[in-house]
Amino acid sequence: MSAVARLRARFAAKPDQPLKLIGATGQLGYGVPEPAFTAALARKPDMIGADMGSTDIGPTFLGSGQMATAGEQTRRDLEKLLVGARSHDIPLIIGSAGSAGAAAHLDATLAMIREIAAEHGLSFKLAVIHSDMDRNSVSAAVEAGRVRGMGVLPDLTVEEVRASSNLVGQAGTEAFIRALETEPDVIIAGRACDTGIYACIPEWLGFPTGLTVHMAKIVECASLCCLPGGRDPILAVLDKQGFVLESMNPARAATPMSVAAHSLYEQADPHRITEPEGASLVDTATYSAVDDRRTRVAGARWQPAEQLTIKLEGARYLGERAVLLAGSADPRFIQNVKTLLEEVKAVVQELVCGAGVAPDYDLTFRTYGLDAVFPWPDPPATPPREIFILGEVIAPTTDRALAVTKSTKQYLLHHGFPGRLSTSGNIAFPFTPPELAAGPAYRFNAYHLMEVDDLAAHFPVTTELVG
Amino acid sequence: MRLMEMARVVRSKNAGPLHLTFDIMLETEADYERCLAAPGLRAEPIAKIYSVSANAVAITPYPTARAIKITLPRHEAAGAPGDRDVYGAQQHAPLLEIEV
Repeated sequence: MSAVARLRARFAAKPDQPLKLIGATGQLGYGVPEPAFTAALARKPDMIGADMGSTDIGPTFLGSGQMATAGEQTRRDLEKLLVGARSHDIPLIIGSAGSAGAAAHLDATLAMIREIAAEHGLSFKLAVIHSDMDRNSVSAAVEAGRVRGMGVLPDLTVEEVRASSNLVGQAGTEAFIRALETEPDVIIAGRACDTGIYACIPEWLGFPTGLTVHMAKIVECASLCCLPGGRDPILAVLDKQGFVLESMNPARAATPMSVAAHSLYEQADPHRITEPEGASLVDTATYSAVDDRRTRVAGARWQPAEQLTIKLEGARYLGERAVLLAGSADPRFIQNVKTLLEEVKAVVQELVCGAGVAPDYDLTFRTYGLDAVFPWPDPPATPPREIFILGEVIAPTTDRALAVTKSTKQYLLHHGFPGRLSTSGNIAFPFTPPELAAGPAYRFNAYHLMEVDDLAAHFPVTTELVG
Repeated sequence: MRLMEMARVVRSKNAGPLHLTFDIMLETEADYERCLAAPGLRAEPIAKIYSVSANAVAITPYPTARAIKITLPRHEAAGAPGDRDVYGAQQHAPLLEIEV
């Protein structure tokens, strides 16, 4: 009998028992603290969950198929969770595999899982949720006017759909429940809503949806909802009326205020948690202290969506990136730097492209110390003592990007201007070469909502026996 | 008094790659009420600071945590060429100077 089948049988025999869920990590691959994870296993949880992905990391990982986390650490974290869950026969659910949850990320994650299983002699049933969107279906939805924008990106077009290097959808609780129906031991999902990881088992077992989605949204960030917030695993004990949160690190306290404040984190609206199937309305939620380290939460309501939607995420290839790193401590150069950088841009363009020829690259300067992080409307009252200049080039090839960056470096170093004192060089290099290839560049070209009549068709579930 | 001298937390972060969200958390009920009433924390002045239209600025009081949330659109999707702050974690800085 698999871990999920056993859990199902246990709740069929006694439906009114509480459910114990462990949020192991909000970002697998940066390290799961060992003492708190060991403490979590000692509580005999009914499931262990982990999230691996986000759009926070930018479009490059989605586009390239690479993980944002280091392979070695990712493998170590997966090993800790898989061995821990299997040795205690606890269902393990991991969402947004490999940072962005496209096929390449999922495949790399599954390869690690199989390797770890072989090394430790583990055998189990694995269910996999696939989140890559079928381009024809999405194009048809675009043409039918069933895809809508959510902000600064223009309306999605069929051309953009075809040009995405990867195009995924966020799988919801629905897909995880289909995976549970196969009665596996382990579920690994491609791109997925972080709530689905934790909401699926309680919803499948009949716990109220509004409550479980609220719980899921909190535990998916592990102990971030605590005081002090941190990365340690968290335990949620859920019953039909509410749930109690407890960090598995005794130094962290889930207080009513810290848990309530977590509803603000990275959410546009603190009063509702919107999912493909509906929204959990948390404005009626209550937070009460059980003791000085545990808080009980209740009161969220569920509002089913009138229209099912899938959030699409796509990234499109732009070219190869190279960067220039340089600083300056010269007051005359710093005073004139904005003008000088524009002059150097023009000089470089003529040199690397020829007079009057449009550039085949983008060159951007950021001047740290002045306005690199925020576009301040006015210069500082007192000029900074030093500035850092980051030059960024995106060009069709790495060689081309480096060639433009190298010319930029040399002409910026020796660019003359009236009043110049430091005639042997305008900038300081921290090391050489100061121009570095930074790999492929992408942009998000899809972050849209697609209306669908049926979620299941878009997120196939496959199973395999590992080991 | 400036916001940075009153607030317990002033932070910014992406809410998805197309929006920025700001949280201002206050220690006391009095400070919370004072920030809610502050003219500098209304949609128009916030819109001006971030160069967006005032009706794109959503300001949500969250009394449960004595917090005010502000959400507004980014000028480019996170990580697009020319973006200054891929995670959006340092866009709060101009709010610190607001008189409350």
